Amino acid sequence: MEKLEKIDATEKGRNYRILLILSVFIFTVPFWAGLIPGSILHMDIVNLMVLAGTYACAVIGLNLLVGYAGQISLGHAAFFGIGAYTTAILCTRMAWFPTWLGVILGGLVAGIIGWLVGVPVLRLKGHYLAMATLGLGEIAFILFTQLKGLTGGTLGILNIPSLSIFGLEFDTEFKLYFLIWAVVMLMMLLSINIICSRVGRALRALHSSDDAAEAMGINTARYKTMIFVLSAVFAGIGGALFAHFLNYIDPASFTFFLSILFITMVVIGGMGNIWGGLVGVIFLIFLPEVIQGLPHWIPLVPESLTNFGNYELVVYGLLLILFMMYMPKGIAFGLSRGTSYAKTKFGHLRDRISARKYEGH
Amino acid sequence: MRKVVFRGMKADEKRNRVLWCSIAVVALVIALALSLKGSKGLQWVISGLTVGSIYALVAMGFSIIYASTRVINFAQGEFSMLGGMLMYTFSSQVGLPAWLSFILAVTVVTALGAGFERAVIHRMEGASVVALIIVTIGFSIFIRAVAKWIWGTDPVKIAAFLGEEPLRFLGASIVPQSFWVFGFTAVAVILVFLFFNRTLPGKGMRAAAGNPDAASLVGVSTSTSSLLAWTMAAALGAAAGIIIAPINFAAYSFGVMLGLKGFAAAILGGLGSAPGAVVGGLILGVLEIMTAGAFPSGYKDAVAFLIIILVLLVRPQGLLGKPEGEKV
Repeated sequence: MEKLEKIDATEKGRNYRILLILSVFIFTVPFWAGLIPGSILHMDIVNLMVLAGTYACAVIGLNLLVGYAGQISLGHAAFFGIGAYTTAILCTRMAWFPTWLGVILGGLVAGIIGWLVGVPVLRLKGHYLAMATLGLGEIAFILFTQLKGLTGGTLGILNIPSLSIFGLEFDTEFKLYFLIWAVVMLMMLLSINIICSRVGRALRALHSSDDAAEAMGINTARYKTMIFVLSAVFAGIGGALFAHFLNYIDPASFTFFLSILFITMVVIGGMGNIWGGLVGVIFLIFLPEVIQGLPHWIPLVPESLTNFGNYELVVYGLLLILFMMYMPKGIAFGLSRGTSYAKTKFGHLRDRISARKYEGH
Repeated sequence: MRKVVFRGMKADEKRNRVLWCSIAVVALVIALALSLKGSKGLQWVISGLTVGSIYALVAMGFSIIYASTRVINFAQGEFSMLGGMLMYTFSSQVGLPAWLSFILAVTVVTALGAGFERAVIHRMEGASVVALIIVTIGFSIFIRAVAKWIWGTDPVKIAAFLGEEPLRFLGASIVPQSFWVFGFTAVAVILVFLFFNRTLPGKGMRAAAGNPDAASLVGVSTSTSSLLAWTMAAALGAAAGIIIAPINFAAYSFGVMLGLKGFAAAILGGLGSAPGAVVGGLILGVLEIMTAGAFPSGYKDAVAFLIIILVLLVRPQGLLGKPEGEKV
């Protein structure tokens, strides 16, 4: 037992260091991103990163659920939407309502609904759980569309106020960037602490075998529900931030496709790798923009090809297939395998060199 | 050993009981609709069974692929969409006779399904199931984008196989295409049943689905059965998309909803069970039309999904599915 705790402690230290380096990088992005002329990039990095940050909240939680607890959810767009609608309704109906409280309540309401839904549904396994969560996502989408008095129907809710915390207004993308990514980093910190702890060990046990974990005295139902609720809270907070970022929401933002996008981000980033969620979000947010900008970078592409309606989706679909074919465990694992490969490779070289010295060649 | 066999028999008996119970419930709902609403009720039942047959065909595609590869094929609905759109191209744009267009459209989609299996799924041996599912999602995005590029976004109308004039039957009007749907579904179900129970490759596929290692020991190629599964699923999906197109139109985006409903039907019936897929499809179709009659139309799908979730809570393996996770 002590040994396990020691392993977790070193793992935690390593992840803290990565988190620190990553934070320094992320928080300097807006300063240098503005210096690159827009004509080269054909995209607004800060804007995309703010969007990525809101999605990241949902994906980090989903990664805990799918990658560590081994429970699939095809309905997380529902919690994202519930968070968004909660704060949007509160802040537009009552002008005095503090927006920061709206975000917290968004997470809270999503968590409560997640708990009510999770307790019965998490008894299902595998694809049956996938179906049930998918159904819940669809039901939430239909309610967003149909409860017109509350949600404004298909038109959605307009004029959602910008976020402000005790008089500090986050009314520009530049300011919002720091707030949202600070929230994301806090969530990362929390998940690192969960994973490298007793709970994390329990989750890994129930991921590999429910029954074995149960036999070891782990209350699997409790842990599953706990992580499900946590991921719902994260998604709800992400959705609330999303609402304050865009200033309007409509049901079309919270469809089945968003749930699928979330799960794709988890898998393509690296399921069960703590950094996988972040990698997946940033990769899949920027990929379509890069594909779209591609013809502008390559000078000799014929006009007919750049005008070809939605070629970016064609390429996107193909890339998704190719990435999974060659990196079935996700990019984060691919990266870590790459570094360890390099280490052994160079380690070999070093050994050979020292061996030669020793032999006197 | 004896105990295990006994438990297996008990599960079989229970499945049969569930089958009869669900048929009885559906019959009861139908009878209720007929007696309360008369000819309008009959109309609902027939449209419900028509849509349900299509769901059943799509659900069978899901089940067949699941049984042999454990993968949920998210591109299953796109096979149906492609079938419908290709039918439009061959029959309306090129002007070929309906039967020839049907064969051509099914052939093209089947080749695509088989090609995808060989080019991608076959090469990903040993990858996790989730990775394979994401691959099928990528495939569906790809197909949809290409279809949008080729055919645009507007729904297209396809001529019915035998006249458009609705038949009058006990006060209800029935489109003749419904009979095509019923007939084709019945034939397809029987053929699939015969294939899995009477032919060697079919039996091999069942063996591979049950225990891949043991099956390959006795000479069943799991690679071949995966290819066969994708081929059959693509063909079934394409045919379903073609025969429903004259009733429901066809458009590049229709595959998503059809896929979703087919998946729901397959899960409701019990994943991996072909009779389950048929039962699930028919129940879902009737359920949908009935709830559309009883609730505001916007809530139609919500009620259907709610009922599926409730059924799953009572029977976590679907109506006719085998309980999973018995081995530790």
